[in-house]
Amino acid sequence: MSAPLHPDEAASALAEIRDQQGRLIEAVLVPAWYWWIVAAGMVAIGAAADTRDPAVLAVVIPAAVVVIAALTAGMIFGAYRHAQVRSSALLGGRGALAIVAFVWLVVGLTLGIGFALRAAGAGLPATTATAAGSAALVIGGPLLMRGLRKIMLGNRSGAAR
Amino acid sequence: MSPARFDELIHAPTRLAIVSLLAAAEWADFKFIRDELGLSDSALSKQLATLEEAGYLEIRKAFVGKRPRTSARLSKAGRAAFELHVAALQEIVERSGASVLRR
Repeated sequence: MSAPLHPDEAASALAEIRDQQGRLIEAVLVPAWYWWIVAAGMVAIGAAADTRDPAVLAVVIPAAVVVIAALTAGMIFGAYRHAQVRSSALLGGRGALAIVAFVWLVVGLTLGIGFALRAAGAGLPATTATAAGSAALVIGGPLLMRGLRKIMLGNRSGAAR
Repeated sequence: MSPARFDELIHAPTRLAIVSLLAAAEWADFKFIRDELGLSDSALSKQLATLEEAGYLEIRKAFVGKRPRTSARLSKAGRAAFELHVAALQEIVERSGASVLRR
């Protein structure tokens, strides 16, 4: 290969490539407030379940589910409305595994604590369990995003090798 | 050593920015590319046409409701050319003894 290009120009071009790809990656990451809203919805569901009041259950649970589902759908379709990131190539197996592990962690933690408290006869088992799951979401969600950002930035073209 | 080929067509600054953006995407909307890169409609159209003529880009025109929507994606040849170009740039930097710093 022969290219009359100065190394500084090549480095600058590589930096430009990384910047452009980094901007696209940033655009698809979930903001921190998303985790807080989903967490609030989860706690609302847990608290409603503990009331065992049919009227509360009939109102709170569908409302919370609709809010969480609408927000999640908005996040996904909002991110993919103008561009679709090559998530399979950028995330790779490690990124996909991190997402699946995080979901299982939150679900497992919530259900595990809930069933354990219920078996022990503790008060407000669903509220406590969903609060614990929500804490995992609020703390772990941004950490997951940070990890996915790192993985995707590492897998983009022109990344350090 | 990985194959590398410097590509003059891709290396032009505006085209490099367009191709870099598209390399991380399955596809991107015309408006999205224009706004991200701060280009005018005509400047972006011209560069997209050049890349399409070279076989590096596929342009898709569709309607969302009644509104026309143009999107672009790198073709297989465009993606391959871009990867070879990146490898060529990395070789130039590495041969000089500098490191490719992660940012």
